[in-house]
Amino acid sequence: MSHRLSRLDLKASPYLYIAPFFLLFGVFGLFPLVYTLVVSLHDWPLLQGQGDFVGLDNFAAVLGDRFFWNSIFNTISIFLLSSIPQIAVALVLAAILDQHLRAKTFWRMSVLLPYVVTPVAVALIFSSIFNEQAGLANNLIGLLGIDPVEWKHDVFASHFAIATMVNWRWTGYNALILLAAMQAVPRDLHESAALDGAGAMRRFFSITVPSIRPTVIFVIITATIGGLQIFAEPRLFDVSNAGGIGGAQRQFQTTVLYLWEMAFFRQDFGRAAAIAWLLFLLIVAIGLVNFAISQRIATAESSRISKKTKRRLAAHRSITMPGGAAPAVTTTASDDAPAVTKNEEVVR
Amino acid sequence: MTFSRRTTVTSAVAGAAALALVATGCATTETPDAGGPVEITITTFGTFGYDDLYEEYMDANPNVTITANNIDTGGNARTDTFTKLAAGSGLSDIVALEEGWLGAIMEVSDNFVDLRDYGIEDRAGDWVDWKYEQATDPNGRVIGYGTDIGPEGICYNGPLFEAAGLPSDREEVAALLDGGWDTFFSVGQDYVDSTGKAWYDHSGFVWNAMVNQLEEGYYTADGELNVDGNAELKARFDQLAAATLGGQSAAQAAWDWNGGQSFVDGTFATFVCPGWMLGVVQGNTEAGGGDASTGWDFADVFPGGAANWGGAFLAVSETSEVKEEAAKLADWLTQPEQQIKQFEAAGTFPSTIAAQEELAANPTPNAFFNDAPVGSILAGRAEGVVAQFKGPDDSLIQENVFGPPLQLLDRGELDGEGAWAEALRLLNELVG
Repeated sequence: MSHRLSRLDLKASPYLYIAPFFLLFGVFGLFPLVYTLVVSLHDWPLLQGQGDFVGLDNFAAVLGDRFFWNSIFNTISIFLLSSIPQIAVALVLAAILDQHLRAKTFWRMSVLLPYVVTPVAVALIFSSIFNEQAGLANNLIGLLGIDPVEWKHDVFASHFAIATMVNWRWTGYNALILLAAMQAVPRDLHESAALDGAGAMRRFFSITVPSIRPTVIFVIITATIGGLQIFAEPRLFDVSNAGGIGGAQRQFQTTVLYLWEMAFFRQDFGRAAAIAWLLFLLIVAIGLVNFAISQRIATAESSRISKKTKRRLAAHRSITMPGGAAPAVTTTASDDAPAVTKNEEVVR
Repeated sequence: MTFSRRTTVTSAVAGAAALALVATGCATTETPDAGGPVEITITTFGTFGYDDLYEEYMDANPNVTITANNIDTGGNARTDTFTKLAAGSGLSDIVALEEGWLGAIMEVSDNFVDLRDYGIEDRAGDWVDWKYEQATDPNGRVIGYGTDIGPEGICYNGPLFEAAGLPSDREEVAALLDGGWDTFFSVGQDYVDSTGKAWYDHSGFVWNAMVNQLEEGYYTADGELNVDGNAELKARFDQLAAATLGGQSAAQAAWDWNGGQSFVDGTFATFVCPGWMLGVVQGNTEAGGGDASTGWDFADVFPGGAANWGGAFLAVSETSEVKEEAAKLADWLTQPEQQIKQFEAAGTFPSTIAAQEELAANPTPNAFFNDAPVGSILAGRAEGVVAQFKGPDDSLIQENVFGPPLQLLDRGELDGEGAWAEALRLLNELVG
């Protein structure tokens, strides 16, 4: 009896352990996804509810809508303007925080501070900074003799302003995640590289970045998902357009904002669901592309290094071979004379 | 095998916890028995001025607890109400509905209780007749107790008028601007020509007033879309476009007005003011660093005759489990005495005749608006208002169809014909 129970336990309990996640995922993840698909296949006015089955008509209507493509353009533009600088700066910040700083916790807390502020507050503060008439941004560039920028009317300027809000909020958060990964990189790798004469930059690109590759991929993918779902910032950037169009000429209407307008202003729930699904597919596609690119960058990097190392190894051997046995330490990285002597000293 | 037995228990607990988490989402609310403690939920928006009235009601009815929720703007209240209607649950017992999106609500009016079952017909004579009519759906069901209405007057800045050589006295301004929109715009053009400054803040609000004032706006009284080929609407649009192109619009971003500074620094001299807008003008002037000495005043005149913008209703949702108690509270809140208290707290102008007469008979000077007797002025402005049929997409047309072209017009990026063509194009794409 007890034997049978324990066998059942062995088989069943792992599933029970993971069951809570799958139950929650089913309720809050899978069900909405499937329900959205059902809605998108129907004529579905927001207030009146489910109407006739219309097949893919909603998708066709959305794909033929110039405002949809405008929103995709805006979303991708804001996404690129935010994600790329964000991850680059986060990497650098993390590397700085990884050094032996005084008051470590203070610095780490400081970079996380913007993340604690709600997006709505961020949007309100920044829309005041980017106010066209008397905002801080225009006053500052005025000091440099630059003409005021129409932050809420010009397409590129508005994207830049919204990307700034996103960057302000997320850079520190990503930096901390990258920092955690960096701290897991074995110190002796850094030390031996330093001993071999690798400079800080060299160590950053050849040791740190390749070692934290999985974390970088994670950060890139979460940034992609978040970046393509920007809503609060463009929604609140321009208070005068209550209908969620993101600027008088939809200069910064992102896809989620367009979805919101479709569902709650135009009251077409079916089409809004179709937009949600198209956005979902787009995010999956961009996520896959990102994954492939970051994978390739990482592998290319390591293969480039190994080729270089091999070449150096070969060169080193050809020099040292005639003299007999090559000192083991020098084969690893560097054949510079001072490094060799240093290594030899260590060996002794 | 003690170890594995323990894990069995742990995993069973984990599984049960997960199920419990799911189950708690569906907790039911208990039905109150008559006379017992009752909790009534109410959702309002903007500045409603009800807080003291809730206290008063709860003091008089100790078994009642009112749980109030106020949403910052009417626009967000619209989203909130629509979302909950679409979801089929979540509406509070009493829901404040705004006139601008009542048209969409009327399409699904059976989500709200027919208040004739709770005796609203006996009070029908309390309200101005058009307010009561607005709350009546096509089947004759009455779904809302009227709260406030939005009769419009003209806010103007006295010192700016004086500097331009115009009269600044309230009565003289009313006489100066008396007439149609052509009078308003021609005085405006003189003002622009002599000062080089704008006359009104932006075209959108003026357009709103011009449309609301018509007997039929974006829809005919039968509910047909009535924009393309509507000569009256087009003529008004041309009037507005000509004035804007003449430099009368300050091209301001609404609800921002440069952080309120534009109310203080003389950017524009007039503003279209429904009763509830007086609070907005005051709030923005103060946000921009101004006060009563900034010189805003309120004149008993409106171009083209009486006009109404906004106003609200209290409806009882069909999903409520305390309909009778909720209807009783909504009824009480909208009675004349309470409407006067609401006006004193929030500046919302009452929709009941007795309350309006009371305000007209006892004018209290408003210190911010140069001691203007705003209550009695608004009572006068409410005379002759005609209820306009609001279609299901009225607010969409106002905001997303006419809003963008009017902003382009303000900025000089389109002329009148171009802006009208753009509005029709958007209408076809968004509503069509």
